[in-house]
Amino acid sequence: MKKNIAIYMVFLLSAGLIFSSCKKDYGDLNHATVESFTKNASVSELNNLVSGTESGLRNSLALYLDVVGIIGRELYHFSTSEPRYVTDLLGANDAKLSNSNFYITNTWASRYAVIKNCNVLIQAANNSTLVTASQKSGYIGFARTIKAYQLLMCLNQTDSNGIRIDVSDPNNLGPIVGYDDALTAIASLLDSAKNDFSNADVAFSLAGFTGFSNAGGLTKANRALAARVAVYRHQWDDALADLNESFFSLQGNFNTGIFNVFGTGSGDQLNTFFIPQNQTGEVRLAHPSYAADIEANDDRIGKATLRTAVASLNGLSSDRDIWVYTSSTAPIPIIRNEELILIYAEAQIQKNDLVDAVAALNIIREGHSLPDYSGTVSQPALITEMLNQRRYSLFCEGHRWVDMRRYHLLDQLPIDRPEDNVWTEFPLPVSEQQ
Amino acid sequence: MRKLFLQMTGLIYLISLPYFTFSQARDISGRVTDTKGLPVVGASVTVKQSAQGTMTDADGKFKLNVPSGSTLIIGSAGYRAQAFNADDLAAGAQIKLEEDVARLDEVVVTGLATAVKRRNLANAVTTISSKELSGVAPAQTFDAALEGKIPGAYINANTGAPGGGISVKLRGVTSVYGNTQPLYVVDGVFVDNTATSAGLNVVTAALGNGAITSNANGSTQDNPSSRIADLRAEDIESIEILKGASAAAVYGSKAAGGVVIITTKKGKEGKTRVSISQDLGQISVRKLLGVRHYTDANLAKDPAASPSFIQAFKDAESAGLPMHDYEKEVWGNKGFARNTVLSVSGGNAKTNFYFSGSQKDEGGIMKNTGYRNSSLRLNLEHRLTDNIKIGVSSNYINSSADRGLTGNDNAGVSVGIALSSTPEFAQLHPDASGNYPNNPYAASNPLQTIALMTNNEAVNRFITGLNLEAILQKGKKSNTKLVGKGGIDFYNLETNAIFPSILQFQAVNKGTSIQGFTKNLNTNYIFSLVNTLTPSDRLSLTTSAGLTQETGDYNNLLNVATQVIAGQSNVNQAGALNAQQTRIKFQNEGIFIQEEASIIDALMLTAGVRFDRSSNNGDVAKYYAYPKAGISWNLTKMNFLKNDLFDNLKLRAAYGEANNVPAYGSKFTAFNISNIAGNPGLIVNPQEGQPGIKPERQTELETGIDFSLLKGKLSFELTYYDKNIYDFLMQASLPSSSGFTSEWVNAGNLRNQGVEFGMNARPVESKTITWNTSVNFWQNRSSVTKLIIPSVPQGSFGYVLGSFQIQQGKSATQILGLDGKGGVSKLGDAEPTFQMSTYNEITFFNKLSLRFLLHWKKGGQNVNLTSLENDFGGTSADYDRVTNKAGLPDGFYRITQVGSDAHEFVQTSSYLRLREIGLYYSFTKLPVSYVKGIRVGVSLNNYLTITKYKSYDPEVSNFGTGFSSGVDVDPYPVTKRADFHISFDF
Repeated sequence: MKKNIAIYMVFLLSAGLIFSSCKKDYGDLNHATVESFTKNASVSELNNLVSGTESGLRNSLALYLDVVGIIGRELYHFSTSEPRYVTDLLGANDAKLSNSNFYITNTWASRYAVIKNCNVLIQAANNSTLVTASQKSGYIGFARTIKAYQLLMCLNQTDSNGIRIDVSDPNNLGPIVGYDDALTAIASLLDSAKNDFSNADVAFSLAGFTGFSNAGGLTKANRALAARVAVYRHQWDDALADLNESFFSLQGNFNTGIFNVFGTGSGDQLNTFFIPQNQTGEVRLAHPSYAADIEANDDRIGKATLRTAVASLNGLSSDRDIWVYTSSTAPIPIIRNEELILIYAEAQIQKNDLVDAVAALNIIREGHSLPDYSGTVSQPALITEMLNQRRYSLFCEGHRWVDMRRYHLLDQLPIDRPEDNVWTEFPLPVSEQQ
Repeated sequence: MRKLFLQMTGLIYLISLPYFTFSQARDISGRVTDTKGLPVVGASVTVKQSAQGTMTDADGKFKLNVPSGSTLIIGSAGYRAQAFNADDLAAGAQIKLEEDVARLDEVVVTGLATAVKRRNLANAVTTISSKELSGVAPAQTFDAALEGKIPGAYINANTGAPGGGISVKLRGVTSVYGNTQPLYVVDGVFVDNTATSAGLNVVTAALGNGAITSNANGSTQDNPSSRIADLRAEDIESIEILKGASAAAVYGSKAAGGVVIITTKKGKEGKTRVSISQDLGQISVRKLLGVRHYTDANLAKDPAASPSFIQAFKDAESAGLPMHDYEKEVWGNKGFARNTVLSVSGGNAKTNFYFSGSQKDEGGIMKNTGYRNSSLRLNLEHRLTDNIKIGVSSNYINSSADRGLTGNDNAGVSVGIALSSTPEFAQLHPDASGNYPNNPYAASNPLQTIALMTNNEAVNRFITGLNLEAILQKGKKSNTKLVGKGGIDFYNLETNAIFPSILQFQAVNKGTSIQGFTKNLNTNYIFSLVNTLTPSDRLSLTTSAGLTQETGDYNNLLNVATQVIAGQSNVNQAGALNAQQTRIKFQNEGIFIQEEASIIDALMLTAGVRFDRSSNNGDVAKYYAYPKAGISWNLTKMNFLKNDLFDNLKLRAAYGEANNVPAYGSKFTAFNISNIAGNPGLIVNPQEGQPGIKPERQTELETGIDFSLLKGKLSFELTYYDKNIYDFLMQASLPSSSGFTSEWVNAGNLRNQGVEFGMNARPVESKTITWNTSVNFWQNRSSVTKLIIPSVPQGSFGYVLGSFQIQQGKSATQILGLDGKGGVSKLGDAEPTFQMSTYNEITFFNKLSLRFLLHWKKGGQNVNLTSLENDFGGTSADYDRVTNKAGLPDGFYRITQVGSDAHEFVQTSSYLRLREIGLYYSFTKLPVSYVKGIRVGVSLNNYLTITKYKSYDPEVSNFGTGFSSGVDVDPYPVTKRADFHISFDF
């Protein structure tokens, strides 16, 4: 017995020795880790974060355009595998928007993932000893601008339910902030980014910011977004001031602006909003009212091309495909000059400077083969005209629903089936209500 | 001190040879037969209180030199051991062994290096014999053959596709997002059972946009096969199932889901036996749902039918176009199945071998699907010296499965989804030159998809196990041996998914080729010292201690090429190429010590502890301790309970702990690649790292009573267990505004309680008929006893369609959904109310044998989206019936419930199934002497099912092996098979 105990003791002792010498920690074999980047990031590491951020803007973007477009009665998305595009989102029967469904959880999470990346970029830039102070300002200005833009997209979905602004510490999140306060916070974030760019040195390259990729260009892009926020806030003078510092140009190309670009490269993304014409099963269609309400000769009818066969599903049908993005690498605008001209018109209408407003609207009309505006020149009439031009100019760019809500006109959106509803806002995702 | 008594296990009998010399010894000889006079080959004949013994030869004969006055113990697997006074045995004595209906003398492996007889077992360990596994009506794969045979198990099919894919849960949900599947150990080798996705998410978009694989929360929606299905049932001698920590604690960190111990066949001393068996069969769909037949009248009443759709039908009708039952066309294929097995086994006193070569080839119920598996096995055992024995078991497997494209999908491309919206008047057949028209009613033409796509999994796999037993020390009262076991499991898996540009749904991608290459190497070893000490004949102590190590190295490379040149599949023959590499590495180490004490062969006490650490844990250096203890008290072996009623009566209790290590990589907050226009980019992974992650710990207390009556002809086994999982691992939802959607946390505690009841009986035994039957009943109830994170819907499709949700105080598998009253209520539970099964074998004239397995599952709900998809596509067979209060067509009415009431989608999946039935006849008297026996048989698998469940099959789990079982989304339907069997023994 004693001998056996001795054998075991020796055995266990040697076992203990073998073991303590070969403990293994393999690390993460598949990814770079946040921990390593926030210690002392190099320029190339910071640039990886910038590109990841720009790339991330496209995550769930097609879904976002879908859901705001569907509720805004711009489009139908027929999918034989996903009923919720034509049930929940249109309020069919007793269906309601759920706080646990993809149309809010995925879009919201994708936007905040980009915001997180921006926060990591800010932290990494601040902790880095390998970049100059002005390079730091460039990174931080970019990060803040993108944060503001992403927060605005979340707020567009949740409206009076608000958004969370302070998310820098994932374990200690700030409160959910109501609509007005959220817009104020977004505006001040854009302002501080503008300030960052004032003495910045841009050490990174961007893909969809052609012509706006240096400090001056980024400031212009920043102000374009600020103008959009200003009209949402009814701050018409601010909007005009922001336009002046942006790439706004009444005579300029409508398509000057900044874009989400797509490509087939490794790790890149395709524009998944694009579906070829005349497909069946999985289709995006223009709402029938798009063609019904359009003025004669408007070339924007080209954004909704006639199909060879009507597509129908669940009591809905349309004979027009959406043809805004005409290939799987077609860019999706972040903001472009055509919107800025319309923002200019809107601000002037609201300031009762109707002559300038009509002039701006006519630029849009002429640009789309329409005669000059001949209706009543009054604030209400011009608001209607301005919203109508926005509807056609910014079709499937995510504006119609937001615009009609801003002007409390959601009840004017067409209802297709007797039980359908037009939602005013999304509930906060279930994960935020804890 | 009383008389000395040495209790030895069967293992020791085999390896021990006489080493004492006795002054008064005599030769005895005899022949061992069963009750019908047939020889029992390989029965052990041993002298009580010594290591002396031998085995019977092919005629059941033995010879042994024994000291006078000694007692002989004669026994064999499947028979009750008997004791004889050696002096009473005349030369050439005939010894009849009775069959062990209650299997009390079966040796069950309980430790890593030790085993005990079932009569002394503290746990209810299920053993499945070779005959029960594959001798009735062979199932699709080895793991599918476990269905209905394990009390305490809940088994579902991830898909009916050739090559299988099975989810096995033992005694309830043992983890939420950790591993829920048992560990498979084949001849000492820990076998990998990873389900590797072929990257089909690229075309199905089942899980969001952009992702290549749909792996999330421990499950995948790509319906890959389980790698355990590579094993051949024909090579398996027996399977033992350790269902929880109380039995499996010695397996430590891999045992939380239970352990399935597989022992393959070994050669026996004697003449070389050659056996050839051939199965021929047909595979067909178990059930079709039927399709909707359109008429002008019912379309007029259908609010969902648009004018253009009605017009299309009218046009087709007036043009006299043929109506097609596409469901039948797609799933109506009759697959031919063949299976050939050649085995050769034999051996002499020093060496024995078992060799088998086999191949099976099966067609699927969908054209261009099928499965082929070729396997070679060689098991060798050799005795180096009297004290050292080594064994090698090696297995090479080559398998290839063509699995089609089925299951969840958000792009309208999988076959089931496309069918769901395709009306009977659609014209999808190719023209004379083979061009398929586009399907106007779906994103894909399923006939074209089936004809032109490829989704193949091909495996080359080696599993090699090594066994070493060396007796280090032998004495009168003590002996010590070293047991070493281990092995490697290596495979290469190639997944090949090709979607040519001509396919309807390839309009954007213009041809997709997804080539996956996976290499996986698992190794493990166990070294232990086992000492058996018998201070008196009333006490025997077995002490074992040892070391274990398991490693894994998984490397998966998925290349996704789009814009593939027509006719090409190589990923460089393409306009765009994306790649994704996933590596997983782990190393677990353990130290264990175990003590088993047997007192007067009636009281068996076991205690042990294992210390484990893992590279997956937050603290890689920390050892976690997992103790176990057990007691079994056999009352009939005590003097105070000697009566004729109870043949055997045992009380038992066992306690043990095991764990489940965190998923690889859960410690880190990682970046994902997020490139744009050639700029390399990184974006924070939505899963937050948890540097302090701990393994989840399971404790299980099991108690039971076993008794047998009527000389063992009727036996009962009653078990109650209480299994608690502490710090269960969960991917907690985070407020996604944090930038993270989830993090791994040790989220709370979970409890499973259940009962298992088993009965074995031989109700009829006569010269002409023998009937053996076993009946099992089991049920499990789970409850979340603690949850430290907020409760949110998990898995599945949200409240709108029914969702799982972990909530404190509620069942872990509850299904919540919109209740139609404006709120969210519990609509169901994936856990069955109970399950029951019965296995029967009736033998007539010792030649004709009828065997069948019946399985009843009562209660339990699935989330059935298959019917919803059919309603939504307007193609369900009962669409036009009106049974609802609103007076609408039922199909339309059910759609109107989406968004307000999820009752329709959470459906009870009770069933009664005649799972297997087979009739076999053995010819033993043959005109030619070189053929020893011929067996012919016919069998049916899955032929009869009674269920009200409204989809292809109630045993479904399309979201894979994780927690979200019971989700039904247009799967590859479950099949049934009819087989003819013939086998020859030479």
